[in-house]
This record gives sequence, C-alpha cells and structure tokens, in this order.
Amino acid sequence: MKTLRSTTSPDWRSALRLLPWGLSALFVGYGFVAGGYPATVIGFALVYAVFVTGLNLFMGYTNQVSFGQNAFAAVGGYMSAVLTTTYQWPVVPAMGAGVAAAVLLALVIGYPTLRLKGHYLAMGTLAIGLITYEIAVEWQSVTQGYLGISGIPPLGVGSYEVTSDRGQLALLVAIVLASTFISARIRDSRMGRAFLALGASENGAMALGVDVARTKLLAFLVSAAFAALAGCLFVHVVGYVSPEVFGLHMVILGFTMLYVGGVGSVAGPLVGALIVSLMPEVFRGFKDYQDLAYGAALIVILIYAPRGLASLFDRAKARPRSADL
Amino acid sequence: MADPTYIAQVLVSGLGTGCIYGLIGIGFCVIYNASGIVNFAQGAFVMLGGMLTQLLLMRYGVPLLPAAAVAIVVVAAMGMLLERLVVRPLWDRNATMFVMILATLAAQIVVERATLLAVGDQPRTLPVFTDVPPLMLGRVAISVQLLWILGASALVIAALTAFFRYTLAGKAMRACSIDREAAALQGIPVKRMLALSFALSAALGATAGILITPTQYTAFNVGVPFAISGFIAAIVGGFGRPLGAFLGGLLLGLVQAGAIAALGSGLKNVAALSMLLVFLFLRPGGILGAAK
Repeated sequence: MKTLRSTTSPDWRSALRLLPWGLSALFVGYGFVAGGYPATVIGFALVYAVFVTGLNLFMGYTNQVSFGQNAFAAVGGYMSAVLTTTYQWPVVPAMGAGVAAAVLLALVIGYPTLRLKGHYLAMGTLAIGLITYEIAVEWQSVTQGYLGISGIPPLGVGSYEVTSDRGQLALLVAIVLASTFISARIRDSRMGRAFLALGASENGAMALGVDVARTKLLAFLVSAAFAALAGCLFVHVVGYVSPEVFGLHMVILGFTMLYVGGVGSVAGPLVGALIVSLMPEVFRGFKDYQDLAYGAALIVILIYAPRGLASLFDRAKARPRSADL
Repeated sequence: MADPTYIAQVLVSGLGTGCIYGLIGIGFCVIYNASGIVNFAQGAFVMLGGMLTQLLLMRYGVPLLPAAAVAIVVVAAMGMLLERLVVRPLWDRNATMFVMILATLAAQIVVERATLLAVGDQPRTLPVFTDVPPLMLGRVAISVQLLWILGASALVIAALTAFFRYTLAGKAMRACSIDREAAALQGIPVKRMLALSFALSAALGATAGILITPTQYTAFNVGVPFAISGFIAAIVGGFGRPLGAFLGGLLLGLVQAGAIAALGSGLKNVAALSMLLVFLFLRPGGILGAAK
C-alpha cells in the first residue's frame, strides 16, 4: 500500500534502514575490542541470531506458527554433541549430520503438522518442542539426562580449532552474515515471494498458483535447518549441553528477540538478538529476573507494537492500515 | 506386568489424574466458549492453586479447607488480572489469534518465573486430605485421596451445570458462546463475560491443582504439562464441549496410566503429548466432534 503522507525524505529513510546494521556492527565491534566476557556474551547473541533468523523465515515471511523450534535446535545440538564426544567425529561433519537429522525430523513432523491450523497448529508444535525436551531428559544412555554432556570440542576444521574468544566471535560473525545473506536472498527469490504471498493470504497465494502445502513445508524445513545450526553452534561454543538449554524459554526468548528486532525484516533477528542478550549485562542484578522480564517485555510489545519495536519507526506507514481491516 | 491386580491398580490411579485433566480441559472450554480464545496460560492456574495452598498450609498454618478456599479465590482473582492486563488490551486491538497465543504463553512464563523467584525450585507436596488407610476393593487399593478427587470433580461439574443452566450470568455466557455479536445486541456485557470466564477457568484450574498435589507434587514448572494435558482432554472431547472435555480427560488419564505401567513414569508426558499428536493428525474434531 502506498501512502501520500510520507513525511520522511528518501535519504533519511535509507539511513534509517542502515541503522540496525550500524548498531549491530557497533555491538560486535565492542565485543572484538573488549574480548573475554563481552565477546562471549556477543557470541551467544550471534548464535541466537541464527535461531531467530529461522524463526523469522517461518513466522515473519510465511506468517505461520511454530512454538516448537527448540525441538530442532535440540536435535541438531545433541546429535552434534554425541557424535563428537562418544563417536569422536570431527566437528564439521557432526554439525552437518545434526542439521540433516533435524531437517529430516522436520520433514516427518511437518507433513502432518502443517495441515493443522490455528490453535491446533500452535499446540501441536508446542507439544513437539516439549516431547523433544522430555526425551532429552529421559534418554539418559545417550543424552545423560539433566547431567548433560560436557567436553564437547570447540568449532574448527580438521586439526585447527578456534579456541580464542575473538576467533570464535569472528567465525560466528561470518556464520551470522552468511545466514542473514541467505535469509535476504530467500526473501527476494521465487521461493521467498511464495512465502510472502502465503503470509499475506493463504487463499490469495493459492489463487496465484502457489502450492500452499509444499511452500509451508519448505519454509518449515528451512527454519528447522537454521534452528538446528544454532543448536550445533551453541553446543560447540559452550562445550556443554543439557536439556534446559533447549527448553520452552528458548522459544519465548526467540520470540522476544524477533519482536524487539522487527518481524519479517532481514536485519531484525540480528539486532533483536544483540539487544535482548545485552540487557542482562547492562542492568545489574537483572540475571535472576531475565526470563520474567523477557516474558513481560514480549507481552508489552505484543500489545503496543504488534509488528515489533522496529515498526514504531515507520509510524506514518503503519497508520493507514487500520482503515483496511 | 500382566498381573490383573496391578493393571487394575494402574487404571484406578489413571482415573484420578484423568479427572484432573478433565477439570483443566473444562477450564479451556469455558474461556474458549466465551471468547474464542485458547488460553495458553491455563497451566499457571493449576500450579498456583497447589502452590498457594501449600504455602498457606505449611508457612502460615492455615487449615487445609480454608487454605484451599483462599487459594481458589486468589487464583480466580489472578485469572481476572490476566484478563485485564494481557488479554483485554489485545482483544480491544483485534490482535490476531497467534499474538493472543504468544502473549498468554509469555504470561505463563512470567508467572512461572515469578513463582520460582518467590518460593524456589523445590518440589512441594500437600498432605492427603484425610489420612486414613486406603480402601481395599478385592486386592486393589483405592486411596481416599482418589475419592476426594472423584467427589470434588462431580461436585464441580454439578455446580457448573447448574450455573450455566439456571443463573443469569451462566445463561449470558452460553449466549456469548453461541454468537457474541447477537449476545452483545441483546445487551449482554460481552467483555464482562470474558473476565468472568477467566475467573471461572482460573478457579477450575486451581481446584484441579489443589486436588492433584497430594498424590503428585507441585513446582514452579508443572504448569505447562498440565495445561497441555487439559488441552488434550478438551480436544479429545471435541473443543468447546465441557462434558466432552471431562470424558477426554478421563480417557487421557487412563491412557497415560497404561503408558506409565508399560514404559515407566519418566515417559508420562511423552505419552500424553503423543496422544495429542495422534488426535491432532487423525481426528482433530475429537470423539464427539468440535462444538463449532
């Protein structure tokens, strides 16, 4: 929809579009300069950025609901962790296997699940996430239950291991940039246009010749792959994994990041992940209240800025929307 | 394992948890019928019911019955608070269903974390309501707590039925569930019905939580599995049918008890969730068919 009431001049707007990137570069740059603990925090944020990128694809582009993305992160993470520790696999093939396993699972689950709609889809995906969590707790011979698996090797290729904070950060930046690039490319591709069409109106997309079932499944698989990649990165960056890592709070945290950064935008997941991850560092004593605050913040955002905080920037564009409801 | 006494024992215990799931399932239906909303924070009420009663009893020495009554009233008030702070603002802004689900789920997390901060992560339990040895039916032991659960469930269902059939508020809520716009045109305050449905549903959840705590335990994170079990009960019975939800709860309780007997208690949630998926994939309308 075009609006004639555009008060922002074009170059100001393009500058605004660069703002999230500049902000992200600033945060990451600080991590590099400071090293040590700040670098670790930024590293976590980047891992989450990959997760949220997947969430954004499925939710922001295709407008579908999945509360079970943590399942794929768990499958990817645990697969990679078990293969590298128990079976002594090198890191890269183990991660590849983790992502492949998660995508395969998404295919098996997605086929029946994505036929569901509304509350059923939401509860179904939530159940998948919880089943995975419970299995991670109970299948002790493989996952060692609550104890978790420790001694997971760091990221690296062959005999070269990335062990320094800054090295790890650099690698994660490269991976996040690649993910974001892929996300942007998907958005502008034929497939991405199908995603967006589906997101705008399922019937409309169907009328335009989009194979709705296949497109939904495709979006689900891609987002599962991102989630699994994030899970793999997490276990290798931290060197330890336990079921709590992939609990329900991961889903809420992911959604909070997505809503802070902006739903459906390319840069949103990265900015959101960085801002939300830095919150506990900025406010002292915030750590205990972390999940509480994220949940509360998410509710407030959902009420007052349902397309995410970023949408507050283009108020002028958002205004006329109320007329077409 | 094939010992018939053991199987009977397992089924009897399944009946108890089944009633609980049924009550939670009815809670889902009450809100859904009044508003079309599925409240994903339903589990928080269950957890709070058990937790508050436990706190009143253990920390402040309030006798059980008043403690339970106070807990139910407080949780009902919290249900209204949830409606006022989270649901109503979204409702007024015509939020999409997805946003409503996400917001109530976030509310669930907020309640969970606040409870964790307030009372810690230790599992807590309540004493059984009446401390007498179990009744023996042949060689099958029937705990008195089970009788409490069955009796209280029957009482709650009778009271609900009377409420919906004979009181003005109950009739108004039924009108809302048939057609909200028509109900509004008849002068029924639809928003107040929404608040009332949250209070009622919260009270139901709290009751369920109090009844089940003596046989299991309560902790800050028991809510979500209970909510999902209640949701399964509601789906199995056909969403929006309170009585169906109760029967669905009983069925789920029995299936789950069977799964515990066959596979071990660790997998009880996995069994319940798998049953949800089976129903979602094969028969989302439930056994009786959805209300709408």
